Amino acid sequence: MTYDRKQDEFRLDVLKELGNIGAGHATTALSRLLGNKKLTLVVPQAMIVGMQESMGLCGGPESLVGAIYIRVSGGLCGHMALLLPFTSVQSLLGYLLGATPQEFSDMELSTLQEVGNIVVTSYLNALAEMTNTVLYPSVPAVAVDMAAAVWSSILAGAEVADYITIVQTGFQTDAEIIDGTIAFIPDEEDLAKLLEALGMGEL
Amino acid sequence: MEEVFVNIGEIKVLTQEGRLVAVGLGSCVGLILYDALAKVGGMAHVFLPTNRKGGDNPHPGKFADTAVAAMVEQMTALGAQKRRLKAKMAGGSQLFSYGASVMDVGRQNVEALQRELQTAGIPLVASDVLGSRGRKLIFDVGTGQVLVFVIGQEPVEL
Repeated sequence: MTYDRKQDEFRLDVLKELGNIGAGHATTALSRLLGNKKLTLVVPQAMIVGMQESMGLCGGPESLVGAIYIRVSGGLCGHMALLLPFTSVQSLLGYLLGATPQEFSDMELSTLQEVGNIVVTSYLNALAEMTNTVLYPSVPAVAVDMAAAVWSSILAGAEVADYITIVQTGFQTDAEIIDGTIAFIPDEEDLAKLLEALGMGEL
Repeated sequence: MEEVFVNIGEIKVLTQEGRLVAVGLGSCVGLILYDALAKVGGMAHVFLPTNRKGGDNPHPGKFADTAVAAMVEQMTALGAQKRRLKAKMAGGSQLFSYGASVMDVGRQNVEALQRELQTAGIPLVASDVLGSRGRKLIFDVGTGQVLVFVIGQEPVEL
């Protein structure tokens, strides 16, 4: 698929707005989960990036992150991931489980999985409502490892080409205890469908 | 000492000395070919088993079924002899658990590379593949030493 620059910019604006609403829902869900802790949404970015460039989206390539990955099918197909720096994973789990985890057993991983599930599916709900489609999230997969290894595995599963259209949003608490990134990668074939559902198909 | 990073889809070749480094190998595989006599070493950072979606492929190192031949070509151009090449590889893990949603790309990459090496007649002398952990790979072309790093563990010589 090729775009000219002006179309690109306009479409990215639309995706950014979509990201804004989706992430707004996700942030509210996370805030509830944390007993109404105040979370601030980071202004979302929609971008077309090269694969190598995208490696820097979740911190240094060798930094430790927690990640939740969900495959989206139904009216729109794509991939969603929630990426959290390790310190955020620790504070999140510490908050939910009552103690900061020293190592990751099934208990910690499944808690992280559930957090990701809640955050990502609330984002998807907003997306489904706006595009008037039915979206099915897969069972969330979870990993804690080097950022670049985790992110490249997601991209490999998505079989992305050289460039990725990505909507990225994050949230922060006022105490900066938790920050994270939500990435949505629509399948290339479905990107046009997504824009069409938003009334942008003919541009 | 020169340190060259091998990003996803890239092939890098050094002669005589220097280090080739692949960071963040998850389902990706770092493939090393080495002619110890000529001291010509190459590394590819393989992303997927094959270019299933088609289209132009400006990066032969990205796919298992094009990486080996391209590496051999680049290395022989710098004085390596194909019959002397030996292979090592690391990566191909399955980082994600619980969800059935991420296909086991890592295993597919490893198996595809094993086939390609066999076809090319290049012996695979050592590998550290599969499992559930991300890896970093460092190859010293001057000494032939290969080290694999996993977070929280001592490096292992391959």
